[in-house]
Amino acid sequence: MSTRIPLVPENIKPLPSLKGNEGMLSWVSSVDHKQIGLMYLMSTLVFFIIGGLEALVIRIQLAQPEFDFISPEVYNQMFTMHGTTMIFFVVMPFLIGVGVYLVPLMIGARDMAFPRLNALSFWLVIFGGILLYYSFLTQSGPSEVGWFAYAPLSEKPFSLNKGPTYWALGLLAVGISSVSSGLNNIVTILTMRVKGMTMRRLPLFVWMILVTSFILIFVIPIIASAFAMMLLDRLLDATFFTPAHGGSAILWQHFFWGFGHPEVYILILPAFGIISEVIPVFSRKPIFGYSFVAGSTVAIGLLSVGVWAHHMFAVGLGNVANAYFSLASMLIAIPTGVKVLNWVATMWGGKIYFATPMLFATAFIIEFVMGGLTGVAIASAPINWVTTDTYFIVAHFHYVLFGGSLFAIFAGVYYWFPKFTGRMMSETLGKWHFWLTVVGFNMTFFIQHFLGVMGMPRRTYTYHDLPYWGSMNLLSTIGAFVLAISVIIFAWNIIWSLKHGKKAPDNPWNAWTLEWYTTSPPAVHNFDLVPPVRGRRPLWDLAHPDQLDEPNSKVV
Amino acid sequence: MNIWQVLSSTWNMEPWVLVSALAVLVAYGLGTGFKFTKLSALFITGITIYVLALVSPLDYLGRTYLFSANMIQHILLLLVVPLLLLLGIPKTLAEKALAIEPIGAVMKVLGNPIVAWFLGVGSMWVWHLPSLHESVLANDNLYITQQISFVLIGMIFWWPVFAPVESRRLSPLVSTLYLSSACLGCTILGMLITFAGAGLYASYMTPVDTIGILPLLRGELCLTPGVDQQIGGLTMWVPGCLIYLAASMVTIARWYGAPEDYEISSNSGAEGLLTATQENK
Ligand code: HEM
Ligand SMILES: [Cu+2]
Repeated sequence: MSTRIPLVPENIKPLPSLKGNEGMLSWVSSVDHKQIGLMYLMSTLVFFIIGGLEALVIRIQLAQPEFDFISPEVYNQMFTMHGTTMIFFVVMPFLIGVGVYLVPLMIGARDMAFPRLNALSFWLVIFGGILLYYSFLTQSGPSEVGWFAYAPLSEKPFSLNKGPTYWALGLLAVGISSVSSGLNNIVTILTMRVKGMTMRRLPLFVWMILVTSFILIFVIPIIASAFAMMLLDRLLDATFFTPAHGGSAILWQHFFWGFGHPEVYILILPAFGIISEVIPVFSRKPIFGYSFVAGSTVAIGLLSVGVWAHHMFAVGLGNVANAYFSLASMLIAIPTGVKVLNWVATMWGGKIYFATPMLFATAFIIEFVMGGLTGVAIASAPINWVTTDTYFIVAHFHYVLFGGSLFAIFAGVYYWFPKFTGRMMSETLGKWHFWLTVVGFNMTFFIQHFLGVMGMPRRTYTYHDLPYWGSMNLLSTIGAFVLAISVIIFAWNIIWSLKHGKKAPDNPWNAWTLEWYTTSPPAVHNFDLVPPVRGRRPLWDLAHPDQLDEPNSKVV
Repeated sequence: MNIWQVLSSTWNMEPWVLVSALAVLVAYGLGTGFKFTKLSALFITGITIYVLALVSPLDYLGRTYLFSANMIQHILLLLVVPLLLLLGIPKTLAEKALAIEPIGAVMKVLGNPIVAWFLGVGSMWVWHLPSLHESVLANDNLYITQQISFVLIGMIFWWPVFAPVESRRLSPLVSTLYLSSACLGCTILGMLITFAGAGLYASYMTPVDTIGILPLLRGELCLTPGVDQQIGGLTMWVPGCLIYLAASMVTIARWYGAPEDYEISSNSGAEGLLTATQENK
């Protein structure tokens, strides 16, 4: 037998210190799902801070009418990079990353099905981020054409700078990464569950990741091909999206939103999963209507693929098309709305314990409902014609993406941090973070609904001194700074708790899913042994053999 | 003519429709012993919709003036009617039929999900090829063939999901994949028709105005050829897909409703603890 000399030493410690011998190497070369998951989370924090700084620049520019803090070109670069960063480099990789960390633990597996592919997915995100941000170093700076890069603006001759090229290349890398994580998740969840963990007993978070992964592998190829076509147009003089040469600019919109609307569900379904784990644990009750939450997610997944044209009401698709798509879009609100009822019903009559994760989860419900309601409103074509491309839309999607996805992300970080690191986060700092986030967030974005209805267009460099516009915008900018302070507290809480946080027990919240059975942080191989799974809450069943969730289930 | 006159005067009691409906009903009655049950109600509803789709103004308008009416008829015959008929067949009857050698063998082939999927989605695509569609409108026999093939193929298509005998059904998650990919197939076709621009099907551009209602349709109801074709395409796309989607929700609801079959843990270590699933190396 030939002896293989490993290139990299096998990991023995769960969280190798960077200072140790080969500390850096043991992270960079890792194929362990937990290390990769943590690297995802750390890089999204960095991107979150970058994207947040870009947002501050935007808000400063808008703080007063006819201000010229930055030039119009830089302004356009800022909102393009801000949107792109937040969606593709913060929310998406966070949710994928936290999934990579938790899915194997929750289903009682030792790793993902394809650990190397998992590492590839992660490094492609980093590669994509570098490509995107490299455009700052080019002569004319990054892309200025918005996160949806409408043709023909993103095409020659309107954008001759290199920005959109790097933008498309970077996102293409992220696209490949997302498809491979999607496949990896699906195979892992379908084939690597421990015995007894049937599909109907999956933790809801895992179920949401499964549905999201299917959406990923169906819709990312749409946008990836569109990026490729855009690159062909820009680099090799093809004309897919240039009407002047027989291409179609509207085609880009169909591709973009054919991906873009399902994308918003990629950004929210795993967040629903986090909320569905946190709320029962802190209400001390099993989730109300497990099968409904799971089943309706499939409905959302399927519907989400068919309603993209609601982003194109103003294009002129015709009244018939507008009517059909209005209706179909409103249908999506039904499964989504009933989920909200499930969470509320879970809390109802529970022994609620408002630790920071639960605070964020509760606020999530309120802010998300707000965004959902404006969503249903703008899904009606006539209302959409009035509000499209105004600050009303900006308010809508920040309520769903910040009030929704990000609040869930914060809840998740506070909830799983003890498992990730073996230390608790500071509750005091957590409460400060929470309240400043709620105040800052609503201060920044609530007022934008009114600005939008009053006609303030989005993506506008500056505005005239119309009655109230200046003060309303100033309020929004102040809110943004409150948010900035809250983010500093959050980052500080992470850094401080890593060193000085209270030592975390294996199961600090008395939760019921398998990840809490192992040590905090989990050993390199996750579990020595896994308890038998005989219901949806394995650790509950283990502790209460006389009160099983599924009393008829037997261990064969 | 106003719209009510059109709707009341364009019924068309074609004998083949009534005869075929009656024959199927009698056969069903013989098979089930003429008892009225929940299942037979589904079956009879299916037959009623079948008859209505083929004798009501929907049929007349669809064959002469309006592509959209034609599309609604197709959706009814290919998706709604066969589903109701299939759901109306009692399990025992189906088991008896499948025990008969040739039927069992044929259904083994046709009930294969891949075959059924391609037949179902394929018939949607093939019958909507513009040239074939023109021939159907011009030739009565071809027209009858089309309608009957819709119903039969529709039943084959639904078989892997809703077969009366559970053992012939796909598992719920695979059913969802089966149905959502079919939805995708019909979305693409619907999209092509919707965005193709007026005149994909030439005869609806300038229909022969035998009963003089063209001004009513084009003027008062604003059903210009472009709008008409869009309604048709979108009907296939949106409500068509919603039927598939609703069906997959039904399978998932059934799945969660059924008791968990205990595919549970075998004791290995102490206290029934299990080893974690290993990486597939
Ligand atoms: C209740 C369900 C929802 C409905 C009916 C809905 C409807 C809409 C509509 C009609 C638009 C287009 C507005 C326009 O540009 O004129 C829109 C924009 C948007 N929505 Fe939603 N929405 C819903 C939920 C969500 C969720 C859950 C998210 C993300 C987590 C989301 C994220 C967005 C984003 C990012 C945009 C703006 C895209 C852009 O123009 O850059 N929406 N929504
Ligand atoms: Cu959308």
